Amino acid sequence: MKRRNLIILTAVLAASTALPAFAQDAAKPYAGTRLAVLMEGHPTTDGIQALLPEFTAATGIEVELEVVPESDITAKMLLEFSSGSGRYDVVQNNIIFVPGFVKAGYIEPLDDLAAAAPQYLDKADFVPGYLNTNVLDGKLYGLPVYGESTFVMYRKDLFEQYGIAVPKSFADIEAAAKTIKEKSNGEITGITMRGAQGIHSVYVWAGYLWGFGGEFVDAAGKSALATPEAAASLDAFARVLKDYGPVGVANFGWEENRVLFQQGKAGITLDATVNGAFNEDPAVSSVVGKVGYIPVPVETTAPKGGSSSLAVHSLYVASASANKEAAWLFASWATAKEQQIKSLALAPNSGVTSQAALNSDEFNSRYGAFKDAMIASINQGNPQYLPTVPAANEIINNAGIAVSKVLAGTASATDALAEADAANAAALAR
Amino acid sequence: MTKDVTTLFYRPVMVFMGAVSVVITVYVLWLTMQNISLLRPGAEKFVGFDNYIRLLLDMRGLSALGRTVMFTIAATAIELVLGLAIALLLDREFAGKRVVRALILVPIVMTPVVVGLTWRFMFDPSSGMANYLISLIGFGPVDWLGSPNVAIFSLLIADIWQWTPFVVLLTMASLESLPGDPQNAARVDGAREWQVLWFITMPMMQRALLIVGVIRAIDSIKAFDLFYIMTRGGPALSTETLNLYGYIAAFTNFDISYALTIAMVLTILTNVALLAVYRLAFRPQKSG
Repeated sequence: MKRRNLIILTAVLAASTALPAFAQDAAKPYAGTRLAVLMEGHPTTDGIQALLPEFTAATGIEVELEVVPESDITAKMLLEFSSGSGRYDVVQNNIIFVPGFVKAGYIEPLDDLAAAAPQYLDKADFVPGYLNTNVLDGKLYGLPVYGESTFVMYRKDLFEQYGIAVPKSFADIEAAAKTIKEKSNGEITGITMRGAQGIHSVYVWAGYLWGFGGEFVDAAGKSALATPEAAASLDAFARVLKDYGPVGVANFGWEENRVLFQQGKAGITLDATVNGAFNEDPAVSSVVGKVGYIPVPVETTAPKGGSSSLAVHSLYVASASANKEAAWLFASWATAKEQQIKSLALAPNSGVTSQAALNSDEFNSRYGAFKDAMIASINQGNPQYLPTVPAANEIINNAGIAVSKVLAGTASATDALAEADAANAAALAR
Repeated sequence: MTKDVTTLFYRPVMVFMGAVSVVITVYVLWLTMQNISLLRPGAEKFVGFDNYIRLLLDMRGLSALGRTVMFTIAATAIELVLGLAIALLLDREFAGKRVVRALILVPIVMTPVVVGLTWRFMFDPSSGMANYLISLIGFGPVDWLGSPNVAIFSLLIADIWQWTPFVVLLTMASLESLPGDPQNAARVDGAREWQVLWFITMPMMQRALLIVGVIRAIDSIKAFDLFYIMTRGGPALSTETLNLYGYIAAFTNFDISYALTIAMVLTILTNVALLAVYRLAFRPQKSG
């Protein structure tokens, strides 16, 4: 692998010296540079890919875009980062990994690069909540490509038919789910959420955890899952799914959950704001215009953090990159408002991070039905929703086992969380 | 000393292959004695046997090991018995034998990812075929992959479906190559069919069956694709094998040394078990 890269690199170098005309163009100082970019399979990536020829025309930089599923991307970049291979110049990832990457020295602070080449950057245009998650110790590390929060989606028509008020707490949600299941004689599932072991169920249960006053890791950096608040939140989450949830919920990931709801087979769901786009798309949904959206409620008056998530996927410049300036140009171009607005037409998605794109007519006509609730959720979104420590993945994995055990009924919430807490404490100490 | 020139042909290859395995094994052993994590570059240090002690005290790892052993024994035993039975049934001339043999190949040829996805659809609790079929005989819906008591058996069914034909194929070939005279002699002497099978055919098949069993056992220990596609170790860890746990340690937790420790222990256990079976299969045959 390494040797092949070396050969490619040598070839590129030879080619660039053989063609001095390219390198000497003052307006295109990095013309002929080849960037290797690793991005997640996502509509935003499709949009950027479609627009890439414009970037090459403007800068002369060639971009080799590698697209992999989000679930595999971290391992892939870590293998390259840890060997210092410089294989990727720009990578995309979730903000939860950023503190670990910064600590390990894998990614580059962007402030100096931005000062030297600010032509594509408009900091004020980014949704502040999205951009701020990329600032660590006062330094900017990444530029957000797409982001989302979580909210509660409910069937307005069913709520009206059965005389249910808009829920204000998790207890209200449980009562509403019960009413829907009973009054529809089990025809319609009361509530559906992701129950699959791992990040899927943890991403949704975390809303309950924070809403009930719990947290993953306390202010001192210690594992904090063995608390009565956490146990109460897990009990409530598992109970509502077991009593009023769909059959087979233990294997429900994002896809299964979304499909069930958009087919009109469930009364309520709690999931990512991006699901709104699927609910309102007549091509795939039978509930267009029938869905109400509200931010995730809280059960306690003093939560330690918001119960709505804040998931942001950004572009980062690798420290081992040999072309950091060109890499920065690409990252700032790909996230600039012009590209985001264009990509709304090319590959629609509601996660755009540019305020100009959010306020465009294209966005309003497509996503107007849930835009206000989405922005409200983002504004109260919790940047610590999932733990942002280096051991984040392991903590999520351990918590996911606890959620799965309680949902399957093989352990009580208190026991399962005590076990996860011990495993997390060991991971944090390692 | 014999001057056999043929040794010049195979010895270098043997030495090379042996050296490569030794070097890799020693390197992995060395890595398992560090605390390498992809998230903590530069902080690696020698920790001796800490990772092995950690695994010894790791309940999740130990139950994964137990599950691997149980799955391997169950899958191999059922596939052997079922495969042998089917092979014996097919061991006669009948119209369409070649078609049957071609059909038997289908599950083996399918990639495990496709098999996993297909079975996942069949086991879907609300729209899958499995629940429809058992509803015909009056049983309620089963949450095939969602219940921790059932999921491992659902995986077992998929594994048996895919790999029993492999046993059938190999035992059929072995049955066809058996000489028919001893069996006919026994029949002439008045032995019943089950006696012919048990006292004549089975002993002659012993070696072939052991080899098939060993191959299946090794594959079952290493089984990954079906588990990854169908359950990913869930629900409630009920289908997490040691192999899958090693994968999670490496690619979810980025705990490289611990993942290699898990792989190393699995390798050692497999080799020990394998050597024992090998001894059994290839002990010098008693003359008589």
